[in-house]
Amino acid sequence: MEKEKLIGGEFKPDEAQHLLYLMVLTRAFEENAEEMYALGKVHGTMHLSIGQEAIAAGASSALTRNDYLLNTHRGHGHFLAWGGDLNHMMAEFLGKETGYCRGRGGSMHIADVESNNLGANGVVAGNLPIAVGVGLSIKIRKTDQVALTLFGDGASNEGAFHESLNMASIWDLPIVYLCENNLYAMSTPFDQAFKIEEISTRASSYGIKGVTIDGNDVFAVHKAVREAAQRARKGDGPTLIEAMTYRWRGHSKSDRQAYRTREEVKEWMEKDPIPRFAAKIGVNDTEMEEIRQQVKQDIQKAVEFAENSPEPDLSTILEGVYA
Amino acid sequence: MAKEVIMPKFGFTQEESEILEWLKKEGEKVEKGDPIATVSTDKLSMEVEAPENGILSGIRYKVGDVVPVTKIIAYILQPGEKLPEGQDFSAPSPVVEKDEVSPEKPIVTGNATPVALRMMQDAGISADAIQGSGPDGKITKTDVEEYLARQKAGKAIGKAAATPAARRVAEESDIELLSIQGSGPKGRIQEADVRKAVSSASQPIKTRTSAEVTRIPLKGMRRIIAENMGRSWHDAPHMTLQVDVDMGAAKILREASARKVGGVVQKFTYTALLTKVVAWALVRHLKMNSRLEENEIVLLPYVHMGVAVAVSEGLIVPVIKDADQKSIYQISDELKNTAERARNNKLVPDDLEGGTFTISNLGMYGIDRFTAIINPPQSAILAVGNIVDRFVPDESKNPVLRPIMTITASADHRVVDGAEVAEFLADVKKGLESPGVMYL
Amino acid sequence: MRELTYREALYEALDQVMKKDERVFVIGEDIGVYGGAFGVTADLQQKYGKERIIDTPISEAGIAGACVGAAITGMRPVGEIMFSDFVVLSMEQLVLQAAKMRFMFGGKAKVPMVLRLPEGSGTGASAQHSGSYENWFVHVPGLKVVMPSTPYDAKGLLLASIEDDNPVIFCEHKLLYKTKGPVPEEMYTIPLGKSNIVREGKDITIVATSVEVMRSLEAADQLAKEGIEVEVIDPRTINPLDMEPITKSAIKTGKVLVVHEAAKTGGFGGELVSRIMESEAFAYLDAPVRRLAGLDTPIPYNRNLEYHTVPQVENIVEEARKIVQGVY
Repeated sequence: MEKEKLIGGEFKPDEAQHLLYLMVLTRAFEENAEEMYALGKVHGTMHLSIGQEAIAAGASSALTRNDYLLNTHRGHGHFLAWGGDLNHMMAEFLGKETGYCRGRGGSMHIADVESNNLGANGVVAGNLPIAVGVGLSIKIRKTDQVALTLFGDGASNEGAFHESLNMASIWDLPIVYLCENNLYAMSTPFDQAFKIEEISTRASSYGIKGVTIDGNDVFAVHKAVREAAQRARKGDGPTLIEAMTYRWRGHSKSDRQAYRTREEVKEWMEKDPIPRFAAKIGVNDTEMEEIRQQVKQDIQKAVEFAENSPEPDLSTILEGVYA
Repeated sequence: MAKEVIMPKFGFTQEESEILEWLKKEGEKVEKGDPIATVSTDKLSMEVEAPENGILSGIRYKVGDVVPVTKIIAYILQPGEKLPEGQDFSAPSPVVEKDEVSPEKPIVTGNATPVALRMMQDAGISADAIQGSGPDGKITKTDVEEYLARQKAGKAIGKAAATPAARRVAEESDIELLSIQGSGPKGRIQEADVRKAVSSASQPIKTRTSAEVTRIPLKGMRRIIAENMGRSWHDAPHMTLQVDVDMGAAKILREASARKVGGVVQKFTYTALLTKVVAWALVRHLKMNSRLEENEIVLLPYVHMGVAVAVSEGLIVPVIKDADQKSIYQISDELKNTAERARNNKLVPDDLEGGTFTISNLGMYGIDRFTAIINPPQSAILAVGNIVDRFVPDESKNPVLRPIMTITASADHRVVDGAEVAEFLADVKKGLESPGVMYL
Repeated sequence: MRELTYREALYEALDQVMKKDERVFVIGEDIGVYGGAFGVTADLQQKYGKERIIDTPISEAGIAGACVGAAITGMRPVGEIMFSDFVVLSMEQLVLQAAKMRFMFGGKAKVPMVLRLPEGSGTGASAQHSGSYENWFVHVPGLKVVMPSTPYDAKGLLLASIEDDNPVIFCEHKLLYKTKGPVPEEMYTIPLGKSNIVREGKDITIVATSVEVMRSLEAADQLAKEGIEVEVIDPRTINPLDMEPITKSAIKTGKVLVVHEAAKTGGFGGELVSRIMESEAFAYLDAPVRRLAGLDTPIPYNRNLEYHTVPQVENIVEEARKIVQGVY
């Protein structure tokens, strides 16, 4: 009986509705970010995850907020899905004192350690060795937490990837390694950087489970992460999940995208995870429009909050270097 | 051919000589090497010798004339020879302007800007004499201006190699680095060299030259000092009070006072600041600025500040009139001026009269503190010591290094009592430590 | 007071803090049964188990990263890099992660970790196992750098470093492990950022770090026989650096010699000398402030060459004497 109520065997209806809202919100946030960038309101660059929203929605929903999130530079969606507050996120995006990092970190380092969100990392694979420490910490403290560690296909070729997966596997650390394979490491296509077909096959080198899943399917991501987390909590160690997806925009704002064809991008845009999830959970066009309107209002309020927030005071320039 | 007799150059820096005596007369026969005249240089009298056998003729200067060196003073003629054209036997010409007959100045060349070159040319300075501050050591207009200003101020020219510590001590002691021989590598002046120079300047080492006692008659200035001081010591019961003053703020004020005059950076002297502050305090404590006359204490409304200056014969006290009404710069300039005139014996009686109070500063001699005798008919005097870096406790009792100066007031107890002197001293201290209070 | 070696003092600090504070664990290569390449962790694994004395694969980036991750989630890890030279493999985690994390996150995270680096020459370990790299870390805002020179300092500074809420690079000199000195039995800390006037004197100030403190003291004994009174100051932590005693001493003596083992060019001495020049001590200097440091070369293997690569007692004596005599 219980099971029948769950959509697709995974989500309660309001939960599914919320995940859809988050996906739409993420996309709107990033489209708005692009706009503000064009208007010169944003100081630095940004890495947009448009097209990849299913992974954030599926992964965060499979974990508790007592678990840990180790995010990447392309992490707006994960931040929101983990429960990040839109206003303070927008303020950080505009470099304001009310931002999550008081305007010191920006889009690429947004973090909320208090809610176990250990931050987006600007260094490719930079969070992989850190995940080992988080896993050790959980193990020594004997809690049942899990560390969700995100990275891309590019990070899988860093030395740190090997050190991290090896240490995590020999010590059975409770880490979910979630690789977002969007087929390009900046401009380098997957097949130029890998001899293997699937990154998940590398799991066998560490004696751990590896799976490759459809990263544009919220259900598939949710299921894979949930199962990996279960294994981790039982003490069975880490899992390597490879979620196949595609980023619609360039690597960052300075990317001319000369390395791929318009046709390829168009092809992937037809696999848009948002309408796909909406259809699967039975949200019609009218309901979708309502969500869009809600998102629009929320973004508007967040922009107002951020724009009305103070700049960091110059006298605080050295704050936070040392504890 | 007529042989010229010229005024010889005897000394390195000698520019002119006075004719003291003609030893041979016009028309007298002389032999080469005979002394024909005596002339005076800065210190000595020297003889001018005949350059040739012949007859002394055409003497151009009389006794008492001052003649630039290398000028022709006479001729030696052979029998039958005549003086060169235009030379008049009978009427010795007066001293002519040096420039009119001196040979063309050499053309100055060197690594310098065109303006600097012209200035050096005009002033007759060789480019070697000046250290350039421009790119590749190019001499600039400013360099020449500074050189000339130092030259005019009688200061040594050039840059001294010295350690920072030596520079600091030299500035504090008001001693010229260039006058000091350095003992460091390549003659670099070290702190110890400056300290040695300072102490030897104030206490010349004398070796005993005679077993005889020397008797110096008590006369002139010495007698006046003797009488005044004796009377003061006898009549006025001296009371002395002493206080340490932190000169940190004064130091900062002095640095801030720096101004460029004729290319030379000038700051006011500590004595000028003292004069200003003491005058300000005196106006608030008029008993310290008074005179005892018969049955009355006369409080004086104006402050004429006597500032003791040591001269070779003793001590004189030029007076800065209305010091309470003048700015520190004015006081500083006046002090410099009177001190210079005092040392050159060029003071007029007006410079020395009417003082209402006296400051005596022996800090430059490295004296930490001393008591002075009141200069009658005044009622008080302030004795000022050296500014010395000393460790003193700060607010949280940690030692901090501070520039400290001890001042000692002596006052006539017939006129004032201890508490009044103490209040006066407290105000002087306040004025020096927080000069701003004078504007409140 | 009872005497311990520098190594024993470090061991005792780890032992005592692990007994008291369950958040502390030690992680590194061969620190368990082997007891650490220099024996510092000795039998700690027997006492505290494999979960708190963690032997790792040869993964220096992993060790540093593990410290970072554990630290921001509430632990107090102590990492050991077997030879300081291998810290180059941990650099990304130390410089881009540990040092910047708190700042990037708006001051809302803490990274209380210690990374111990056995460094220095004198053991014949040659070029890739003898370096002294402390100044690299001084140049990274967000890191603290500690260099104990005695057993007493080793224990007190290690405990203070573990207690500190910042990432601390803890440089131990390999030649000091066997040196002995008084060490109190109880737990105590020496505040980071507090220079130590090791010996007082009036003629010249020697500021030395790590093993060079020991050598400078020996040099000072010799110079005392010539009537030269040397003041020796050990900054103990080179970031944060406590300049006040150094400046005061420079004012007192007017002559300063800085001694460290790391290569001279780009070494910590340059920073120290600059700070002296920028301070009020400048006007009291009566000789050029000089550095005596390692030659600008990798550490050679040959015993004689190795010996002459870094400042030894006789070099310090000669250099200090020359400065006092005004040769420079």
